[in-house]
Amino acid sequence: MNSAFTGTLPLLRHAIRLDHWKLLPWFLVFGILPVLVYSLYGSLFPSPIDALALQSSLSTNPAFSLLLGPATDLSTAIGFTTWRLQMFGMFFAALMAVLTVTRHTRAAEDSGQAELLDSGVVGRHARLASAVLLAWLASAAVGLLVGATLTLAGAPSASAYSLGGVLGSTGVAFAGVSAVTAQLGSAARVANTLADTVLGISYLVRGLGDTLNDANWLLWASPMGWAEHVRPATDNDPRPMMLLVGVGVLLVGLAAWLSSRRDFGLGLIPTMPGPARGRAGIWGLTSRLNRLPFWSWGVNLLVLGTVFGLVSGTLSSAFAGNPFVRQLIAFRVTTEEQLVYGFVEVLVLILGIIGAVLGIQLALRFYVEEEERRSEWVLSAPLSRLRHVIPTAVLSIVAPGVGMVVCSLALAIASNASGSPLEVGKVVLQGAAELPAIWLAVAVALALIGLAPGLRSLAWLLLVYWLPLTFFGPILKAPEWLMNTSPFHVVPHVFSAGTDWLPAWWTLAIAAVLVVAGLAGYRRRDLVCT
Amino acid sequence: MTAAVSISGLVKSFGRFRALDGLDLEVREGEVHGFLGPNGAGKSTTLRILLGLLRADSGAVEVLGADPWRDVVALHRRIAYVPGDVSIWPTLTGGEAIDLLGRLRGGLDEKRRKDLLEALDLDPSKRGHTYSKGNRQKVAIVAALSSNAELLILDEPTAGLDPLMEATFREEIHRERTLGRTVLLSSHILAEVEALADRISIIRKGKVVETNSLEEMRRLTRTNVSATLSDGAGVLTALPGVTDLRVEGNRVHFSVDAETLGDAMSVLVRHGMSALAVTPPSLEDLFLQHYGDQHDPVADDADRLNTSFFGRGGRRRAQ
Repeated sequence: MNSAFTGTLPLLRHAIRLDHWKLLPWFLVFGILPVLVYSLYGSLFPSPIDALALQSSLSTNPAFSLLLGPATDLSTAIGFTTWRLQMFGMFFAALMAVLTVTRHTRAAEDSGQAELLDSGVVGRHARLASAVLLAWLASAAVGLLVGATLTLAGAPSASAYSLGGVLGSTGVAFAGVSAVTAQLGSAARVANTLADTVLGISYLVRGLGDTLNDANWLLWASPMGWAEHVRPATDNDPRPMMLLVGVGVLLVGLAAWLSSRRDFGLGLIPTMPGPARGRAGIWGLTSRLNRLPFWSWGVNLLVLGTVFGLVSGTLSSAFAGNPFVRQLIAFRVTTEEQLVYGFVEVLVLILGIIGAVLGIQLALRFYVEEEERRSEWVLSAPLSRLRHVIPTAVLSIVAPGVGMVVCSLALAIASNASGSPLEVGKVVLQGAAELPAIWLAVAVALALIGLAPGLRSLAWLLLVYWLPLTFFGPILKAPEWLMNTSPFHVVPHVFSAGTDWLPAWWTLAIAAVLVVAGLAGYRRRDLVCT
Repeated sequence: MTAAVSISGLVKSFGRFRALDGLDLEVREGEVHGFLGPNGAGKSTTLRILLGLLRADSGAVEVLGADPWRDVVALHRRIAYVPGDVSIWPTLTGGEAIDLLGRLRGGLDEKRRKDLLEALDLDPSKRGHTYSKGNRQKVAIVAALSSNAELLILDEPTAGLDPLMEATFREEIHRERTLGRTVLLSSHILAEVEALADRISIIRKGKVVETNSLEEMRRLTRTNVSATLSDGAGVLTALPGVTDLRVEGNRVHFSVDAETLGDAMSVLVRHGMSALAVTPPSLEDLFLQHYGDQHDPVADDADRLNTSFFGRGGRRRAQ
């Protein structure tokens, strides 16, 4: 039994050496953001009354319970921090664990590195064990980091470490999920997609459990719903964490069992032989290669749009039941319509960020071809550099466009169907208004591919910078010039009178310049041959 | 004869590493030209410049009378390429990959495609990620050879093939040659180049150190001789051009320049030669002449190959 794990520790050290730069950004975000939110609580809510007012307006707002979970207790800074961060935190901790495990199991097998490692003095389960251990260590580090930084910032340590534990134990559980999907799919992308689908469904199921009436039982159908029951800042119940860790361990055991039932380099989902002839050209090839992300993100957007629509459909009844909102409307501070459209705008913004993720992914996918030396081969045919890259550029620009129209249409229709009339045209227009910002993100990716492919991850980094800035900036009272560095902040507000379209045109112009620069750069630079 | 490829004074650097350092190369139309050198000597970099994948820092490069960087599309209609390490799209089948390359060049020779698949025993309906290295190599070979291109650029094309398939591959290259195609074949497998090439260029540290036909190279290199004599082997030391003389009882081993081979033979005859083995210099001998050291050529060369390989790899990774 022990010999199956021989070499786990050297492999783990090797993996840490390979990964410490990749994990550092995650740690930075998890180390800084919670403390930031925590320390701003005082300036946001000078008196407990303000916090209570927010809580009462939020507790019945389905859009927020769907995205962030229930606002259990906003009367303390740690309670507010928990509400703001625990869902996104869990999601990203799980994503980190999934990517880490896949990178060292399935992706290493795809690239052939694993073969080299496995031929050494290495037990049958050592590589899987080292990948999972790395993900667990990283999850534990995230948990401790969040707990320690919040404690240092003055939070009660039990609550701080509970919140850390929620994130960490979710990471541990999803490392297990990813260990299993790495055995199922026969390529890293398939494995990642499967694990991310589980993650997405978990998020959605617990969101519905929090939002719909009498649907609390749904929380038990999702690992993220279990984690919610820890309730940092109020209950600090450690039992759900143990459940998550236990499930993580069980899943890894399942993965180990599955891995001994499959061949090296192949997944349990068998690969069928395909056609012996093909008719694809460079356009056909590009769409073939991007079919998986296109459809998986497309379905994600459609489902999210529909769910968001259903949620906004329940808004008016929620408002009716909320004395605070009724008061606001009674004093003509706002109208119900304005409130609804305000929420829809936030929902469409979230969809827009997802659209940007899709676009960046499609654009950067192009460089993988180069890295894996297939571009070298394809370009030996009579194909100019421009004709090689243009299908990718077009796809990464068009796909988010289609996605935004589809999901905003789904949102509007679902909302209308569930009894909250929205103007379909305006909602779709708001969806389209996100496009300049999305295209700017895509254009950055294309420019980096063409001009400095070594720096291509800056495209993700920029989005990671825009995301918290856009969502948390206003509530953290960030200065306007800083907010304006995010194109998602300057997205036109279609629902308000006198929409200002000028920033969108500027964003579009910058994006166009970047795309042209990227294409010109790819035409002139050396192919990267590794 | 005109030149299919002519390169003079080619320089290409990657950061501070000078991969090609004033390389000259001429490939004549209709010949199979062996491009010989250890890993990291600059073979692949040269081929990639010929394909316009990399841009030359300085020097003149002409392929089929055109500039490989500027005239990519027109030129590539006439060129086919087998990369050194072929990678196939995981989800595409081998057949689809072949047809993709064929379609990009506006069609391929259907009959040749079918014959090659048969000759190389390749199943075109398997997915890319299930192919072994040898089979991936075969996919690229089929795609290249069924293209009817004038110039074939092959970068270590047999690296993953088994000996049987290597023989088939050689037949196919012979066939291409009889059809009047030009082949530039990079390799570090001496036997392969020896069997196929009309002329050979040996590259070392980014420079071509020798170009010649195998016969010509052999003529300029010493022949190895072993003989059994009845007496007086010592007299051979007096002969000019004889080196590495070893006497084991009645047997003598030495190598001798081509010009003095006749003289050495007559000396052997005069001293009662009863057995004789003459081996022409192998390509390995030629190679070692450029890479080896006089005292322990084999060990030293192996050492050099290793250091140059790792040295290059290290620098590459550092970039």
